[in-house]
Amino acid sequence: MKAEKSYFDKVHTWGRVSCVTSLVFMMGVPLAITLHLDAWPPLSGLLKGLAGVLPMFWTVAVIEALSYGPIIGSGGAYLAFVTGNISNLKLPCAIAALKGTGARANTEEGEVISTIAVASSAIATTVIIALGVLLFSPILPLLTAEGSLAATAFQQVLPALFGALLAGYLGKHWRVAVTPVLAGVLVLVFAPGLQVGVLIPILVILSLAAAQVMWKIEGERNRSNGK
Amino acid sequence: MDFKQSAFMYALGGAVVVFVTVQSLFFLRKAWRRGREIGISAQTLRGVVTSSVLFTVAPSLAIAATVLALSNSLGLVLPWIRLSVIGNLSYEATAAAAAASGLGLPGGLNVPVDDPAAFSAIAWVMTIGSVFPLVLLPLFLKKIQAKIGKAAVGKAAWTDLMSAAAFIGLIAAFVARAIAGKGEADRAGDGAGVLSVLTLATAVLVMVLLELLIRKRGWKWAEPFAMPLSMFAAMGMAVVYAHILPASVAFLEWRG
Repeated sequence: MKAEKSYFDKVHTWGRVSCVTSLVFMMGVPLAITLHLDAWPPLSGLLKGLAGVLPMFWTVAVIEALSYGPIIGSGGAYLAFVTGNISNLKLPCAIAALKGTGARANTEEGEVISTIAVASSAIATTVIIALGVLLFSPILPLLTAEGSLAATAFQQVLPALFGALLAGYLGKHWRVAVTPVLAGVLVLVFAPGLQVGVLIPILVILSLAAAQVMWKIEGERNRSNGK
Repeated sequence: MDFKQSAFMYALGGAVVVFVTVQSLFFLRKAWRRGREIGISAQTLRGVVTSSVLFTVAPSLAIAATVLALSNSLGLVLPWIRLSVIGNLSYEATAAAAAASGLGLPGGLNVPVDDPAAFSAIAWVMTIGSVFPLVLLPLFLKKIQAKIGKAAVGKAAWTDLMSAAAFIGLIAAFVARAIAGKGEADRAGDGAGVLSVLTLATAVLVMVLLELLIRKRGWKWAEPFAMPLSMFAAMGMAVVYAHILPASVAFLEWRG
């Protein structure tokens, strides 16, 4: 028990150091560009640009920090937020790894598995993007250009990815899955342009509520069967 | 020479790649070592790495394509940097577009940005927009995790159900988007329509089939690859559907 506690504590220390150094490093990038080009951005334009994105981005950041952390564990969360592309990459990887190994989130085993999944995915993404940019820049536009054979496949990457993930849960939890999927479709029928980042917390809460109701009903059924 | 793709910019991009990779390797090594200490087999850990890498390939190519899409206006390096660290497929394009419109750039991101001041402004907006989690996490993550941990003690079955429910809620958001969500106006195939629903259904079917084979036919070896395989199969079938169905049906997007 003591060893478990100390590993979690260590993860938080590493994660905090990692976040703060990344913050400094990342802010250094536009600073370096500005100094190198000797081109300070016009303040009014900068503020207008920020006003357009900060309210939405920062709200979503709060929601994501609250909802993703418990799902993918501490080490996975620190690393995922530093490396980015969480919902379309790191989360699916962590979810698939936890599911594949049968490890539970919020246990030390789950913590280890999801950190390894997120780290492997982060390294692979970094390498693939770098290779893609450096080597495939003449070819990739052809692959993804409108009308090309592979373009259709890439346009459908999210339905393919999340369909596979959903199916992984249908066997055991199809009754839990019905509520959030139907609710999500219903919400989007009325607000089709709603950002996924806003839809996620709504559906996570609904899904948790549905699971809780089911838990109670099953508990009562078991009790009455036992009588 | 284009200042957006100078040797200086490439050096900056290279530094970011090294920085991210070193951090990831650090966490990977620590978690691996801990995993072995608590008795997880090296084979299981290797399986996690393999399936995660496989899972990553297709979405990463989609990200690389976004880098290239933004490169017309911003050059290759800035989008590459932004999408390698903290960045996100849908946010970066939005942030760059918001910055361009805030600066009143004629043509927005449809034309190359040639003014260094505008370019640096876009770099600032994209960065400041995305770094907020790095402030939040060090302050709050430990407290959040401690609360969750306490709530979970001694209720393994309930915790399992709740964590599955949280995953399902998150997945449901993307599934619902494929069924009824509106796509981004400038991205073909992004809105819900015939292809997105067929692809989604194919991924579900292939995965269910693979799970059946794994459980009933002893295809244990396929377990770590079941999800990436289903994803690739569905992407491949999307191409097939697009070719065998009449274009007016295949590319019908009811949400645009």
